[in-house]
Amino acid sequence: MAAFFAPAHAHEHSARVIDNVQLSRRYFLLRLARPDGFVEPQAGQFVHVAVPAAGDGRFFLRRPFSIHDCTREFIDLVIVEVGPGSRALRHRVEGDRVDFYGPLGHPYPVLPGKRILGLGGGVGLAPLYYYGFRAPGNLGDGYRLIYGARTREDLFLEHVPLETRGVILATDDGSHGFQGNVVQAAERELAREPADAIFSCGPTVMMRAAQALADRMHIPHYASLENRMGCALGACRACVVPTTLDGGSHYRTVCHDGPVFDGSILRWKELPVP
Amino acid sequence: MSDIGVQIGPVRFKNPVFIASGICGYAEEYSPLVNLSGLGGVVTKTITMRPREGNLPPRIHELPHGMLNSIGLENVGLERYVAEKLPQLNQRPDVAVMVSVAAETEDEFVRLAETFAPMDGYAGLELNLSCPNVKGEALDQGRNPQLVERIARIVKERIPQKSLWIKVTPNITSVADVARAAEQGGADAIAAINTVIGIDFDLETGKPVFARGSAGYSGPAILPIALQKVWECAKAVKIPIVGIGGISSIDDVRKFFLAGATAVQVGTVLYNDPALPERIIAALEENPAWVTARALPARFAPAG
Repeated sequence: MAAFFAPAHAHEHSARVIDNVQLSRRYFLLRLARPDGFVEPQAGQFVHVAVPAAGDGRFFLRRPFSIHDCTREFIDLVIVEVGPGSRALRHRVEGDRVDFYGPLGHPYPVLPGKRILGLGGGVGLAPLYYYGFRAPGNLGDGYRLIYGARTREDLFLEHVPLETRGVILATDDGSHGFQGNVVQAAERELAREPADAIFSCGPTVMMRAAQALADRMHIPHYASLENRMGCALGACRACVVPTTLDGGSHYRTVCHDGPVFDGSILRWKELPVP
Repeated sequence: MSDIGVQIGPVRFKNPVFIASGICGYAEEYSPLVNLSGLGGVVTKTITMRPREGNLPPRIHELPHGMLNSIGLENVGLERYVAEKLPQLNQRPDVAVMVSVAAETEDEFVRLAETFAPMDGYAGLELNLSCPNVKGEALDQGRNPQLVERIARIVKERIPQKSLWIKVTPNITSVADVARAAEQGGADAIAAINTVIGIDFDLETGKPVFARGSAGYSGPAILPIALQKVWECAKAVKIPIVGIGGISSIDDVRKFFLAGATAVQVGTVLYNDPALPERIIAALEENPAWVTARALPARFAPAG
């Protein structure tokens, strides 16, 4: 009999905002003081954030954010301004409090000795940056990262000196680095030196192309998805995505079965393209 | 600390605060955030005769004062529930679990009740006769008083030692007629209300946000609707009423008691504020008179 399922680290925390910095046109970095008892997160995991609204209110649903960095002192979340919820977080200032629970979800696998190629699109850089450069355990050995955005203004470089760490940058319009998308950059990079696995996080279209590339190369591909969530604990079944059959259902939850999935089980053609 | 236990049919619950169906899965998923054994109980997601995949995503949609959901009763089905999930409840005798169930025909309710009758580990059944997110059956059952009475009787006869709650829809002209029918059929309580049918549109696509169009509306916006339905039921029946809909504070809970509820269920607010049930219970233990306060005239005072 299967044991009772319970996500082990879903503790509620209240954290103080240390800093809130505009990184580029649409991205900002929310730095929170790491609360006591916050379990060491694994790359690809997220926190479920209660977003303050006007007055004492809150937005009705929490928002999941991938962990971009975590030290003993702080937790960094990179947030893209897309609507009123993210806009409200943009206006949190030093000393404000932000409530969340986590870390939650299924992380990227740790593959010792394997050559991993990370493909980050836009805000999807967060978990891949954490995996290769910040997470404990020297996961960066044999790790290469390609980071792309539509245009130079959408890349954030000041806060994290990506290029000095060997990250390959790509912009659709060629305004910085490789001209083209990250998957095109990945093809060129794989021709130079193969990889044993691809990790991706970014727009659905990008990750779908990464899956096709991994299939052609006959290597595994792990993709981190995002979705609107209710509970973020695998209970409410709101954030499901279509996959291969799993115990009677074709749906798995992004919050608990993911957010990182073995890409081969996802039904890519049916995934929504926001 | 006062005893604020409540008797609902043959079962005594340690306090009147429950988590509503569909919120916390099969129960245990929320255990890291909510002390389940401190609650009056937990109502599971709805179990159906056959496994259900649920509706096409997206399945939730946030609004200023609540949310729409279109989950579609995704669940593992009766067979797997009874084989895998229910036996696990025996490992948690400290957690009172009400199993939410739905079926399409009276025959199916017979089979369902007979399946549960010999089992233990659960406190009772809550019949979901009111889900707006599946085709036909469930919601239509809840709109037909004669059928509600027959279904209640079919189930109660087979689980006399368990608590039987009938969850009613607000999407109806007279909830009192349905509540009376459930009471006639032997139900131990009326659970009021399920979600309110709503719809929203995506201005970019020009289409409804959900594949099925209409969906279930929950959250603070529906509180006055839920209070009114509880009030109506409280005037119509003697059995306890379990108030559900829009609770987001202790004050909301007090209003349900004033409306005539014996117990309450906390729903979608849990996604935002998982500590709320514990705060409510602590406040009620400090102020036990709130639990029995009624705004109803004495002749309407409900039993229990």
